[in-house]
Amino acid sequence: MLVLKLACKNVVRYRFRSRVTIGAMAFAGGMMIFYASLLEGWLGAMETNAVAMEMGELQIHAPDYLFDPDLYKLVEDERGVLERAAAAGFSASARLLGGGLAAAHENSTGVSIRGIDAAAEEQVVKLHRHVRSGKWLAPGVTGEVVIGQQLATILGVGPGNEIVLIGQAADGSVANDLFIVRGVLKSVGQGIDRAGVFMDAGDFREFFSLPRGAHEIVLKRNDPSVPLDRATRDMAAGFPDLEVKNWRQLQPTLARLLDLSDVSLVIMLLITYAAVGMLTMNAMLMGVFERIPVFGVMKAVGFSGPRLFGLIFTETLIQVIIATLLAVAGGLPPALYFERRPIDFSFLLRESSTIAGIAFEPQWYCLVTRGSVLLPLACLYAAALLSICYPAAKAALISPVRAIHHT
Amino acid sequence: MQLNILAWRSLSRNRRRTLITGFSIAFGIFLAVTFTGSGDYSYTSMIDTGAMMGQGHVSVAAAGYNARPALSRWLPDPGPAMEAARGQAGVSGVYPRIMGQGMFAAGARNVGAVFLAVDPAREHAGHNFFVRSIVEGELFAEGDGRGAVIGAGMAEKLNLRPGKKVILTVTDRDGQLTSELFRVSGIFRTGDRAADSGFVLLPLDRVRRTLGYGSGGVTFVAVYLDDQRSANGVARELTRGLVSRQDVEVLTWRETQPDLSGLIAVDRLFNYLLQLLVGMIIAAGILNTMLMSVLERRRELGIMMALGMTPAQIVRLVLIESFWLGCLGVAMGIVLTAPWFHYMSQTGIDLSRLIGEEYSAGGVLVDPVMKMRLYRESGAAILAAVFMLTLAAAVYPAFRAGGIMPVDVIKEK
Amino acid sequence: MLLRPCVILRRLLSVLIGAVILLPADHAAAADTAFSVDRERAREILETIDDLWRSTSSAARLRMVVTTAQYTRTLIMEGWTKGKEKSLIKIISPLKERGTVSLKDGNTMYTYLPKTDRVIRLTSGMMMGSWMGSHFTNDDLVKESRLADDYEPALTFEGPRGGEEVIEFELLPKADAPVVWGRIDMVVRAADLLPLSARYYDEDMVLARTLDFQDIREMGGRLLPARLRMVPADKPAESTEMTYLEIEFDIDVPDSLFSLMQLRRM
Repeated sequence: MLVLKLACKNVVRYRFRSRVTIGAMAFAGGMMIFYASLLEGWLGAMETNAVAMEMGELQIHAPDYLFDPDLYKLVEDERGVLERAAAAGFSASARLLGGGLAAAHENSTGVSIRGIDAAAEEQVVKLHRHVRSGKWLAPGVTGEVVIGQQLATILGVGPGNEIVLIGQAADGSVANDLFIVRGVLKSVGQGIDRAGVFMDAGDFREFFSLPRGAHEIVLKRNDPSVPLDRATRDMAAGFPDLEVKNWRQLQPTLARLLDLSDVSLVIMLLITYAAVGMLTMNAMLMGVFERIPVFGVMKAVGFSGPRLFGLIFTETLIQVIIATLLAVAGGLPPALYFERRPIDFSFLLRESSTIAGIAFEPQWYCLVTRGSVLLPLACLYAAALLSICYPAAKAALISPVRAIHHT
Repeated sequence: MQLNILAWRSLSRNRRRTLITGFSIAFGIFLAVTFTGSGDYSYTSMIDTGAMMGQGHVSVAAAGYNARPALSRWLPDPGPAMEAARGQAGVSGVYPRIMGQGMFAAGARNVGAVFLAVDPAREHAGHNFFVRSIVEGELFAEGDGRGAVIGAGMAEKLNLRPGKKVILTVTDRDGQLTSELFRVSGIFRTGDRAADSGFVLLPLDRVRRTLGYGSGGVTFVAVYLDDQRSANGVARELTRGLVSRQDVEVLTWRETQPDLSGLIAVDRLFNYLLQLLVGMIIAAGILNTMLMSVLERRRELGIMMALGMTPAQIVRLVLIESFWLGCLGVAMGIVLTAPWFHYMSQTGIDLSRLIGEEYSAGGVLVDPVMKMRLYRESGAAILAAVFMLTLAAAVYPAFRAGGIMPVDVIKEK
Repeated sequence: MLLRPCVILRRLLSVLIGAVILLPADHAAAADTAFSVDRERAREILETIDDLWRSTSSAARLRMVVTTAQYTRTLIMEGWTKGKEKSLIKIISPLKERGTVSLKDGNTMYTYLPKTDRVIRLTSGMMMGSWMGSHFTNDDLVKESRLADDYEPALTFEGPRGGEEVIEFELLPKADAPVVWGRIDMVVRAADLLPLSARYYDEDMVLARTLDFQDIREMGGRLLPARLRMVPADKPAESTEMTYLEIEFDIDVPDSLFSLMQLRRM
């Protein structure tokens, strides 16, 4: 108890020095909380755009569909699959996919037509949030389509305009119909940007004369803590006649890329932590070494080595505690603020662009997680308490006479 | 002079503290060089690769081509543009080219692809990524011949080998359908799936005839530069030179590859943000050091003032100390960074095992070897930033020291 | 998979009409000349076929039956041709597709879709798509089909096959001819040079598809195979069968019939 009291007294007594040390640590900690939240947000956005945008976590297809897509390779009993997936703890949505040609004015181009259930789709992926102009599909809206942004440019159309879609229906007839463009998407990846045409599943069935079945069932875990691999295995076991794949299996390059950017972000964090650690160590070393004469006197009046060590350690602990409180007070509010309002760097980037098939948007959100707050703080503690060991030990071991003359 | 000596004395008196602070500056320099250096290298290599995929660092195209590329938008006479481009300083290559889309068929199979028509007599592997990536056969020799260089993926899809024929069906400049036979002369493999399965090099004169472009027509003139950073300047000069011609537009890689441009901008922002953050933390360390140093010399400084030193001189003393601390940090930084930088600029780290072969960003292949290069201005910026931060961090301690009242301090103990 | 629009089909028309005209009876005499396995002669026969094919106008009513693993569909169509450049096909039934028209004028192809009241111009990307869900591609109909221009013929066999005297040709594409095939084997009847079959090979000489000409009889005053049957080599169970129900030759077809304006009015 005496040690604690003394430590408190020292912290207060060397007010200026304490303030400088605490200030440095608090600044570093606050910055780290903010920065870690920014990186979390970045990573989250990557994953979201890569996976949650359109691909979904798991996909179910008829065997061989992925290798050689064909209008006739259907998941026959899509309702049954949807029900069983829901019972197994997934949100699920069935999609119909077909190829065709879109024409407007004098322009025409090949498109990939996707029939979806707007209500179910929103539960599984986030495409509906990425409409640039006009509106996303809604349940019950028929005769309207939402198209990719480059496609809109190629065809020279926008919301409210007509486009003609032509394709080959399942019965061999020429599928053709007029649709009104309801919305144009933001950039979400090359495939959709250039060729994506989304319509209501009912419209798709009528257009392609395909009354039953679906080409793709997209799933999302309701409980994200269930490991992806296990979820995939479970579903694959449940549907032995179908092909069940998770997004990592569907897009191995993308998965690798995300892993890599995970690694590189961790490296960046480590580097900043190292800088923080160095700063903390510097402050601590100075705080102790410059008081070695004082410690010498204390030793001379009967303070034992271990107690002195404990004293310095306790002083540091008090400072770190105060610093972490300040760091949270300083770093958390801006992180929380930018969690709601994104940092906008649209001046650098056109609407959005893609890297390795992942769309990037010029708005950057912070994401405050347990890790983004606790990790910087833990790092602060570790750096401070580790770096204090050396000077504290030195102070504890030094002989009183030498200490008093120590400069 | 006097102040310099005093400053050094104070720095050398507390050697440990000085070294720790110096080391933190050195560490900052190390990081800044690493991040800026890998950025400078990879941006340049991405931009150069992007340029090598067809349109060059700067291109001159028919007005409106960039917004909606089509074979109906073409330049009948690229001569003046090519002349103007050749006359620019720092231009390493000027190529007339045609780029468009068509269907390529062999037997009952077919695939849609982008073609780039080039003049084989001029084409240089250093300015053409596909020529450089040929793994089988070779580039066709005649501009009006029927050779074609296709990607490995397409060769597989259409079951083609060198010597085999492939039929191009394309809409010509007037919108008429027309077909032409080509024979595979070479196969390239870039590692990018999209390019390997959907890109074809064709001979320029033959394609001109197919499309009805006359003897000199092109869709654009691709201009290659020694240094991608001069793209804006060259584009400006070209625009000025071609100002009389309303029918052309001069584009830089930023316009022809907006995805790449945006990506680099974001990555650079990311990079700067990290460096700024580390810089601020290091600056906080310097501030801390200087404050401590001032604090512990209160008496000494007080006495100095009592002996007639003005507060301004005290302020200057602390700033000079900080300056020398910065110099020390830079020296340590150079010692720490030079071997690393040398290794990274010569050899680099091969990341291909980590990211795999097929990695493209913003539509451009990325070299899986991480290397570094540092532009002169980047190096200067890092040094300037180090000194600015060091001095800025010392401002507060300096004024604090300058504000010490001599009598109060001497009495203090 | 992506692009399967329907458009007018020059080659299909050409093949059809070609079959129709492939040799009217009065030209049968050409086959009587000496049987030397002679390049020159093969060439002459091919030229004769090409020429006949070009200079005619016709109006026909036909039925197309497409059988695939997924569907069987039957279309009734009406078609007109004039010279080599102009042709037009219109669907009469089923009701759902009634009024769909394919037009070729020179090198340009259009499709008129009554449901959307739109005329679509064929672009290069759609060339390899299936025509009307059949095993013919748009390209089959669009491509220049003057065989003598693109192919070097050689007689490979003359004599009896299956109880009939036939002549077999081997057509090898000329070095620069923009055709996708590596070889076409054609069989014609020796008596009147009417075609019996054509087999298409890719450049590796792997069979890609077979076109059979069946049911030779007199229609519209000429002897012709009334039925064509296309079988893709990789799906032998599938086929497209085209049958003439009626045909008239050398009738007066106005040029205006083949105009864009006319498309919507049909």
